[in-house]
Amino acid sequence: MSILGKILYVTVLLLNSIVVLSQDRFLARINFTPATHRRSFGDSADDGVKAKMIQLVASVRTLMKIPLVIVNILMAIYELVLG
Amino acid sequence: MQRAAYGQSPPLHHPVPQHVSTVPQLRSPPPPTSQPQGYDGSPYTQQQQHQQPGPQGQAPGGNFFGQYGNFVNDPAAQIAQQFGQQAFRQGTALLEQNVNRFVNVSALKHYFNVTNSYVVNKLFLVLFPWRHKPWTRRQGGGAAPGVAGGSPEAWYFLPPRDDINSPDMYIPVMSVVTYIFVRTLIAGLQGKFQPELFGSIAATALVVVILEIMGLKLGCYLLNISERSQLLDLVAYSGYKFVGVIVTIAISEIVNGGKGTGGWVGWSLFVYTFLANSLFLMRSLKYVLLPENNEQNRGPMQTMHPIDSRAKRSQRTQFLFGYSYIVQAFLMWILCRA
Repeated sequence: MSILGKILYVTVLLLNSIVVLSQDRFLARINFTPATHRRSFGDSADDGVKAKMIQLVASVRTLMKIPLVIVNILMAIYELVLG
Repeated sequence: MQRAAYGQSPPLHHPVPQHVSTVPQLRSPPPPTSQPQGYDGSPYTQQQQHQQPGPQGQAPGGNFFGQYGNFVNDPAAQIAQQFGQQAFRQGTALLEQNVNRFVNVSALKHYFNVTNSYVVNKLFLVLFPWRHKPWTRRQGGGAAPGVAGGSPEAWYFLPPRDDINSPDMYIPVMSVVTYIFVRTLIAGLQGKFQPELFGSIAATALVVVILEIMGLKLGCYLLNISERSQLLDLVAYSGYKFVGVIVTIAISEIVNGGKGTGGWVGWSLFVYTFLANSLFLMRSLKYVLLPENNEQNRGPMQTMHPIDSRAKRSQRTQFLFGYSYIVQAFLMWILCRA
């Protein structure tokens, strides 16, 4: 079942890459936060692709910060201690 | 007679067999005609016993088992039998209760409601979709959602038995299992078989399906496509590519002893099945991913919808095209690698 282990690694690494981005130094500079991206009209049902991606990034960052800390600690213990 | 040992039975009032069994009588000599009056012969006794427990101390199995001994006439054996049936019933009730929380069994049953002719026609359609004309799924029950005045909850899609365009889960499940077996068979023919191959091929197939569903869901989220179709529909559609993959691998293994994508026989088969699968997906998913026009025209903001719907429609068409062709090419190539 090494392929499932690889899938887990890839998933954790990708999620880490989204969560680790700095909000004020990077994301606000390229206007990729919900605060800095002004929508053309206020209705949230007609968002374009970029607005949806911004929402996705923001929600992933909000939701996955704490679980990812736990998962990263576990993976570090697995890699370093258990080989 | 064994019946005299149990004393008098209370008078029986119309013992109606609630469970009509069509089990034939399993003995070669003709049944003796000295049956007790009031209820039917031996095939019903086993079912009647647990539905009218208690006061029937008759000898139900005396004629039934014949020379195998009369163990069911023993009261301890009867009690044990009833206890076993009751335990079995409770076990199945518990199992149903727990399984129904995780998996929607009735929805799954809809997908497995297939006939032989449907399977054959659908397989032909997956491999040769160019001549098929109407691709819409037929609906039953109340009026379709596009028609005004029809309640949107009363309609349902017809099961695969009645509608050739309806996705089923029988073909995808069977083709995934066949794919695993065909790959391991070919590996065995090449002398490279090991038991871990089953697990790794199964994991590959599972990962391909999951990746595809995640990509589809991500695309639907980004493009604001409403998810009226169920998840199982998309899983079923993503399982149809295994049919083409099996055909490619099997025929190219027969024709040349090499890999599926080695030589121009394998590649031409791969391209053909990939094109057939992509056309099949595009035509089938057109009604899933691109919403129908009559739905949008019913909204209250009728003036705004035709303006941005053109851009959105082109976006969605591009997404559908990219998904049907590019994503499927990549995934089928993964599956065809030896």
